[in-house]
This record gives sequence, structure tokens and C-alpha cells, in this order.
Amino acid sequence: MSTGQERYQPFFYGPEGRLIQVEYAQEAVGKGSTTVGIRTDNFSLIGSHVRPPRELVDPYDKIFEIDEHVGATGSGYISDMLRLIDELRIESQQYRLTMGTPIDMFTLAKRLGQYIHEYTLYSVRLPASSIILAGADKRGTHLYQVDPSGTFLRGSAFAVGRNSDKALELIIKGYTRDLTVDKAKDLVSSTIEAAVNEKPLLQFGLVESQTGKFKREV
Amino acid sequence: MTTVVGIKTQGGVVLASDKRASKGFFIASKEAQKIFKIDEFTASAIAGQVSDAEYLVHLVQAQRRLIELERGYKPSVFETTRLIANSAYSGLRNYAPFLAEFIVAGIDTEPRLYSTDVSGAISPETFVSNGSGSPIAYGVLESTYKDTMDIKQVEAVAREAVKAAMQRDPGSGDGLEVLVITAGGSR
Repeated sequence: MSTGQERYQPFFYGPEGRLIQVEYAQEAVGKGSTTVGIRTDNFSLIGSHVRPPRELVDPYDKIFEIDEHVGATGSGYISDMLRLIDELRIESQQYRLTMGTPIDMFTLAKRLGQYIHEYTLYSVRLPASSIILAGADKRGTHLYQVDPSGTFLRGSAFAVGRNSDKALELIIKGYTRDLTVDKAKDLVSSTIEAAVNEKPLLQFGLVESQTGKFKREV
Repeated sequence: MTTVVGIKTQGGVVLASDKRASKGFFIASKEAQKIFKIDEFTASAIAGQVSDAEYLVHLVQAQRRLIELERGYKPSVFETTRLIANSAYSGLRNYAPFLAEFIVAGIDTEPRLYSTDVSGAISPETFVSNGSGSPIAYGVLESTYKDTMDIKQVEAVAREAVKAAMQRDPGSGDGLEVLVITAGGSR
């Protein structure tokens, strides 16, 4: 069918029915630092590999507090990611202003998904960043991944960035429902180490269902 | 021109109202509804401009439905009150105030009672009264309400408070309406 010669606008569906700009953005995310999230009923943990650009330069912090009960990390272009983090923080406060209560995780993930989705409709550059959200609300702990397509997924294990396929495979292999926080951290460390083939510098963020509060551990 | 009363206790909340709607010195209706169920465990008693009050009740019902569909669980009584207060506040700030006051009562994790007004201010209360008969109702509430009372006793206090107001306030009368909300639902 496809000869590679068709002329279509880059932000429209291609002949295979795919949005190539979205796929390019996802390709860019795959070059970011390896980032994972693990959830059990007792906690949500996010961990990210931190890479200083070169010697004598401080690395970017990769764990962000969104609100008291939510934290986020991600992979991809850091400036795109920072913009999405800002959006998450604004959405959380906007919800607090109108409802007087903390935002629930589903709504937060959906709002970010909708924000990114707008970019997929027009001829603009999509944010090349996947976000992993960890948080707790009335209904317990949650872990979400939000992609450049605007898709958001809820689950108990996610990995994005460099060698994320391999990382995810290792996490799924090591995952049990009764994982402790320490065991989960070890799993994240060993997973990222195996994925990037070096002893990584890691940052963590944690929400425990008992407190419902997000803590940065960097 | 109204008397509405709300009282909170351990086992639930009670709302009571008269049934008179006035147009100046004329009794416009003897069967006015002033207590509105928002859902099985949330209700509001209104005072003031009926059209404004009913509009805000309908608006909050719609907003609550959309929120529940989006996030998957019902708004709490406080969130419900906040939504009404938001509309009231923006009305006030745009020189088109909603001329109504609300007592919002219900049970979520526990019995809750809030009052909100034209300014959009929210105050949590254990007992509260609104409307022209409220000073009279408050006389009864202040002298008879005790925090050791159960839901039955509290219901009796609410009835007496509205009855007293109906006797002496020309803006209130024509019968009593009571809604009791407990963990089993509302009646």
C-alpha cells in the first residue's frame, strides 16, 4: 500500500492510521533517562535515574511534588516535562479552589491527558515527555502513566525512558503484591542498573497509604 | 421571609422549614418547598429569593453528577457546599448576586452541617437557622439544644424552633416540613 511517497500533513493520520508526530515524540521519550514506578496497596513509589550532563554540572532533580498527596517523575525532554509538571500543579490547586478538597488521582491524570491531547489535534510540536504519577486519595494508592499521545494508564508497574522495555520486564518479574518499600526500592535500583548497564544515581518519591502524603527522597 | 432550621447530632442531621412563600405582605403560597434533596444523603434548606435558590440547587445537582461521573465517587457534603458557595461568590463579584442562603446538611463519613450565604462564605455549624424567623428559632435552639441529644430529640427541637417562629414571624407559617438524614437514608 504505502510507497513512502504520499504527501500528508505531518500532524494528520498517516496511511497506516497512525499519528507519526506522536510516535516521534514517543521515540524521543525512549531516549530519556530510565524512570520507573511501582504500586502496591500500601504505597506508590517512583524512581528515576539522574544523569548529570557532564562533569561539574548539577543534574536536574527528577522527582517533583505536585501537591501534598501526589508526586511525579518522567522521562523525555526535560523542558517539556517541566511544563507538564507545572500543569499538574496548577490543576491540583485549581481543583482545591473549586472543590475545597485535594484532587483525586484519576481526575488529575485525566486532566493532564486532556492537556496533552490538545497538542495532538493541531500542527504543533507535542511535548516529548512521559509522566509517571504516584499518589494517594480516598480510594487508596495510585500509579499512572501519561504519554505524549494524551493516553493515561493506571497500573502497578510502569517504566519509561531508555531501555524501558527491559526495565519493565525485570520489574514485572520481581513484583509481588506484598512488596515492602525497601524491597521495592531495591527492585527499582537493580532494574535501572540492569537497564542502563552502570551503577545509577537514583532519586525516589514515595506515597504511603497510611499517611497519604508524598515524600521526596533525593 | 422564611424559617429554616438545621441541627446536627451524632446519628444524623435534621432540616426543618415552614411552608410560606411571601410576596411583600401577601402570602403567595402555603405549600412552598424549601427543603431540597440533593441525593439520598445530602439535602439543602433554602431561604431568600426562591428562583435564585432553586437555580443554585439545580446547578449543584448537575455539577455533582458531572464530578461523580468524572472521578467515580460522590462529592462530600463540604464539596457540595463549596460548589454552591463558588456560584454565590462569583455572583456577588459580578454585581449579580444570588439572593439566597442555604443550609446544607448530609452524611458522608459522618453527619455534616454547613451554612452558606450571598457572599459565598461557608460556616460549619452544629445548629443553624436562616430566614426572617431565624431570631425566634434561635431563641428556641439556644435554650433547648444540648449536644448530648440523639436524632429523635434533635428532630423535636427543630420542630419546636420552626413552630415558635411561625407563631410570631409574619413571614413564616402555613405548616411544617421536616427531613431527617441518617445512615439509613433520608425521610
